[in-house]
Amino acid sequence: MNMTLRIRLVILLLSLVSVSTNASASADVELRDIYLEVNAQNLREGFYTYNNLCRLCHNLKYIKYSNLSDVGLSKHEIDVLRGTNGVSDTLAASMPPSVANQAFGKVPPDLSLMAKARKNGTHYIYTLLTSYYEKSEAVYDNHLFQGIRMPDIFEYSVTENPKDKELIDKRVQQVALFLEWAADPKRDERKSMGVFVIAYLMVLTLLLFFLKRRIWANLQ
Amino acid sequence: MNKLVAWIDQRFPLTQFVKQELTEYPTPRNLSYLWNFGSLAALVLVLQVITGIFLAMHYKADAKLAFDSVEHIMRDVNYGWLIRYMHSTGASAFFIVIYIHMARTLYYGSFRKPRELMWWSGQGLLILLMATAFMGYLLPWGQMSYWGAQVITNLFRATPFIGDQVVIWLRGDFSVGDATLTRFFALHYLFPFIIIAAVGFHMVALHYVKSSNPSGINLQAKDNIPFHPYYTIKDFFGFGVFLIIYFVFVFYSPNTFIEADNYIPADPLQTPAHIVPEWYFLPFYAILRAIPDLFGGVVAMALSIIIFAVLPYLDRSKIPGGARYRPFYRLLFVVFSIDVVVLSYVGAKPPEGGLILVGQIATFMYFALFTALPAISIYEEKWLRRRGLPPEVEELITAEENQRDIREGKTQS
Ligand code: HEC
Repeated sequence: MNMTLRIRLVILLLSLVSVSTNASASADVELRDIYLEVNAQNLREGFYTYNNLCRLCHNLKYIKYSNLSDVGLSKHEIDVLRGTNGVSDTLAASMPPSVANQAFGKVPPDLSLMAKARKNGTHYIYTLLTSYYEKSEAVYDNHLFQGIRMPDIFEYSVTENPKDKELIDKRVQQVALFLEWAADPKRDERKSMGVFVIAYLMVLTLLLFFLKRRIWANLQ
Repeated sequence: MNKLVAWIDQRFPLTQFVKQELTEYPTPRNLSYLWNFGSLAALVLVLQVITGIFLAMHYKADAKLAFDSVEHIMRDVNYGWLIRYMHSTGASAFFIVIYIHMARTLYYGSFRKPRELMWWSGQGLLILLMATAFMGYLLPWGQMSYWGAQVITNLFRATPFIGDQVVIWLRGDFSVGDATLTRFFALHYLFPFIIIAAVGFHMVALHYVKSSNPSGINLQAKDNIPFHPYYTIKDFFGFGVFLIIYFVFVFYSPNTFIEADNYIPADPLQTPAHIVPEWYFLPFYAILRAIPDLFGGVVAMALSIIIFAVLPYLDRSKIPGGARYRPFYRLLFVVFSIDVVVLSYVGAKPPEGGLILVGQIATFMYFALFTALPAISIYEEKWLRRRGLPPEVEELITAEENQRDIREGKTQS
C-alpha cells in the first residue's frame, strides 16, 4: 500500500469517526483473554498486521528494523521492508504527525510501550480493538474507551459473519502479542536466564542450609 | 602474608578489630531468623549501590532524554534490562526488609533501653531511605514519576509563611521540570553514601550495646556465641533465601512494582486519573489524606513517622523484653499491624465514599495506640505482677533496680 492510498483510506475511515471530546477508558469492561500462544508465526503475522494497518498512524519508535529478526523476519525481508531506511532506523508511522493531528485531533500514541503502559496491556489492546460497536447508523463507539478517536480499523462493529469475526479476532490477538514483544523484547532472554540463576541459587542455598545445620550442631 | 598482617597490626588494629567485631564478637545464641533482616538490609544496600552506579553510566538526567535513556538501557545496553529491573525491584525489596526489621524491633521491644540510639539511628535511616527512593522514582520521568513528585513537593506549601518559596526552592522551578530532575539525580546519587555512613553509626551502637534477643532479657556471657562461624553462616543462608525470592521477581514479574502509567512519558499537561505513590508510602499517604486540611495532613504524616522516636519513653513497663511475656503489648502490636495494612489499602484507593471514613478511623487508631501505650504498659505490669512473674524475670528486675541504686548512690557521694 503506498502513501497516498493509505491517506485516502484514512480519510475514508475518518468519515466514520464520531469526534467526541469526553474520551476516557472505562474501567468496568472486563478484559478478554488471549487464547493464541506466543510463537514465531503469530509474532510474525502480528508484525505484518501492525505494518499493514496500525503503522499508518502509529510509530514504534523504540523498534529498529534490525530488531525484527527477533520476530522471525529474514534479512532479506527486512531489507525489502526498510527500502532506503537504515537497519538501525526505527519504525515510523506513514502518516506525518501533523496530518494525523489534523485528522484525529490528536497524534496517535507510540505503540512500543503500549503493552506495558496499560494495566494488563496485551489483553487491553486485544479488548480495545474488539470492543467497537455501532452506536447508530454509521456512527460507532468503543465499550472500553468511550469516545475514542481511533477509527474501527478492522471494521469489527459492522462485521456480521461469525467466520469473519473470528478471523479479525485472531489477527487482533496476533498484533497484541506482537506489541507485547515490542514493549518487552528481552522477555525470552530474561525468562531463560532466570531459570539458571534461580536453580543455581537454590542449590547454593540448600548447601548453605546443610552447612549451617552442621556448624550449629557443634553447639551444646 | 603473616608478615604483612604483623606490619599492619603495628600501625592499625586490624587483627584486633576483626576478632573483636567479627569473628569473636559475642552474639546471643537464641536469635531467630527475624534477626537476619539487618544483614539483609545491608545486602540490598550493596546491590542498590552497585546496580545504581551502572545505571548512572547510561542514564541521562535531562527532561528531554531521561525517558528514552531508560528505554535505551532496557533495550540496547548489555544486560541493561537486568540491571534496571534489579534496581527497581531492589527498591521495594529494601522497604520490605526494613519494615520486617522494624516490626521485629517493635515486637521484641528491641528499641528499649539501652538501645534508644540504635532505634533513632534506624529511624533516621528509614527517613533517608524514603527520601532516596522518592527522588529515584522521579528519574525514569514517566507520568507517575512526574505527578508523584509534583504532589509530594507541593506538600511543602504547608510550611508556615514561606511555603510557596520552599516549594520553588525544592523544585528549582515553579513546577517539577528539568531543574527538579537534575537535582533529584544528584541527590539520589549522594544519599546512599550518607546512608552508608549512618549504617556505620548504627553498627557502632550495635556493637556497643550488643544484639537484643527473643527472650528480651540481656543474656549472661555463657549464652553468647562467637559471631563466626555461627552467624556468618546463618546470615549467608538468609542471603540465599532472600536472593531466590528477589530474583523470581526480577526475572518473572519485574513490573509488579512498576505502575503501568510510568511507561507513559511525563506530560505536564495531562494529570493521570489517579495518582498513587509507591506501595511503601501508602500508609503515610493515607494519613496525609485523612485530614481534610493540607497543613494538618502534612503535620499528621510527619508525626506518624517521627512518633516512633518516643516509643522508648512511652513504654513504661518494667517487665523486660517485648511482646513475648506481655499479652497486652502483644495485642497492641497486632492491632497496630492490622491498622497499617488498612491504611495501605485506603492509601491505594481513590478517596471516595466510605473509604474516607475508614482512613480517618485508621489514622485515629494509629495515633491512639501510641498515646495509650504508657497507661496500658503500666496497667499491664500491675496485672502481670498480680498474677505472679516468672522468678527469673523477677530476679532480673530486682537486679536491674539494685544496679541503678548503686549507680545513683555513687554519683551522690
Ligand atoms: C487511522 C489511524 C489509526 C490506525 C490505522 C490505528 N490507530 Fe490506534 N489510535 C489512533 C488514534 C488517533 C488514537 C488515539 C485515540 C484517543 O486517544 O482517542 C489511537 C490509539 C490507540 C491505542 C491507545 C488507546 C488508549 O488506551 O489510549 C492503541 C492501543 C491503539 N491505538 C492500537 C492500534 C492498533 C493495534 C492498530 C492496528 C491494528 C491501530 N491502533 C491502528 C489512530 C489509529
